[in-house]
Amino acid sequence: MARYGMVMDMRTCVGCQACMAACSTENQTPFWSEKFRTHVEDKETGTFPDVRRVQLPRLCMHCENTPCLSACPTGATHMDKNGIVLVNYDRCIGCYACCIACPYDARYAYDGEDVSRERELYGKLVSHEVPHVDKCTFCVQRLNEKLEPACVATCPTHTRIFGDLDDRKSEVHKLALSGKAQALNQGLGTAPKVFYIPS
Amino acid sequence: MTFVHQEVWHWQIATYLFLGGLGGATFAISAVLHLFEGCDRKMLSVAVMSSIAFLVIGTVFLLADMLQPLKAIYALTNPRSWIFWGVVFINFYFIAAIAYVIPLLEEWPMLQPIIQKIPAPILGLLERFNKLVALGGSAAGFLVAIYTGLLISAAPAINFWNTPALPLLFVISGFSTGAAFLLLLSMLSSNPGAHAISAKLEQLDAMLIVTELIILGAYFNFAMFLPTGARASAEFLFHSPVFIVGFFVTGLLVPLIIETWGIFFSGHSEGKKSGLPIILASALVLVGGYLLRIYVLKAGMFQYPW
Repeated sequence: MARYGMVMDMRTCVGCQACMAACSTENQTPFWSEKFRTHVEDKETGTFPDVRRVQLPRLCMHCENTPCLSACPTGATHMDKNGIVLVNYDRCIGCYACCIACPYDARYAYDGEDVSRERELYGKLVSHEVPHVDKCTFCVQRLNEKLEPACVATCPTHTRIFGDLDDRKSEVHKLALSGKAQALNQGLGTAPKVFYIPS
Repeated sequence: MTFVHQEVWHWQIATYLFLGGLGGATFAISAVLHLFEGCDRKMLSVAVMSSIAFLVIGTVFLLADMLQPLKAIYALTNPRSWIFWGVVFINFYFIAAIAYVIPLLEEWPMLQPIIQKIPAPILGLLERFNKLVALGGSAAGFLVAIYTGLLISAAPAINFWNTPALPLLFVISGFSTGAAFLLLLSMLSSNPGAHAISAKLEQLDAMLIVTELIILGAYFNFAMFLPTGARASAEFLFHSPVFIVGFFVTGLLVPLIIETWGIFFSGHSEGKKSGLPIILASALVLVGGYLLRIYVLKAGMFQYPW
């Protein structure tokens, strides 16, 4: 049993969006509707002449205290034994209560049109057979094969560091406890398992 | 920090919230009137049947907004979710409302053949426990009305919704629309028995509007206090003419003035001839209640940390 988490080193992110492409390919997310499980926010900060561009990669924070799980009336949203927040597609009724409850904009509707388009593109290989609310799963299917999530494996600048937060030898554990990394919206008490090292 | 308008729940959910509050409150007030004031049974039956129709139509809007409405039964799985409790409250409401209204329908001669098909022992029980069901029904109606506010307040990143003031605002607004609807029914009824409670309903609605104004004051005072998403939402509403003119002025202040005038000076709810202003006030309260929900949903803004 692990407690999977991620550290984002914003000092190294160049905003290439390879993570978005890799995630979309791996998880058949509806890129045709511009819906993704992970995004890279491209922000400009400061005032001229002291201005900067900052890239902030974001995805589901797999919170310990999950507002989405509390809001879901059907139990479709659940946490597995490794602390990964998942959606059972067959049980999801698409009421959007989880989308409203999520403080990190990590969820979107995989609606009927997306399911039809996916069928056209992927044929028998479809992984989203019914409309549902979709989100990052830390590529649980890859973890089961002892592989890293697609976004982590693809990132050319080692911005995304993934692993077991309880494993003292892991890089992610050390970085998460280094004092450099912070969670987003900590005041909400959601206890995210994704941390950020500011640039 | 980024403030982003929520694009998840739209007018369909606002309609559901409005009809839920209206239906729940109409039944609750009808039941309380029956228990404490006594009221024309014909009018009560019309009111409760209408409230059932409101809830049915509202539920259809909710289901139509879902991705998988045919699986809605799964919503009775997670008691930590407000939707779970909404389903429980609405079902409790439907059972109570139907059990309550069946004996009242005997007042309608054209419905007698249908009512008589119900086995006499069951009909007898329903008649015998009619007041007890009214008591339970008033609780069910209240729970449905307050649930509409609790549902949308469970949004930690939408500051404007995530406040204890919102369920209070929605329940008081729901009861105000319920009182206005009953007032409308009593004013339009040709039955003198129905007309007898108009003055009481007018007083009740005026009190509810005053309470709603107090809650709105506290709510906006909270929202404007810090530069959060709640302030951004409040500023959005202040700059929405339909919210200010349609809801606040036309849906709250004008009906309050008409009703206050009626209570203290004109007594137009007591005489049929001068009933037009109070009918207008009731209709405006109903339109205002709908606009409130539309605009509270529109004003919902996520406060993202990036």
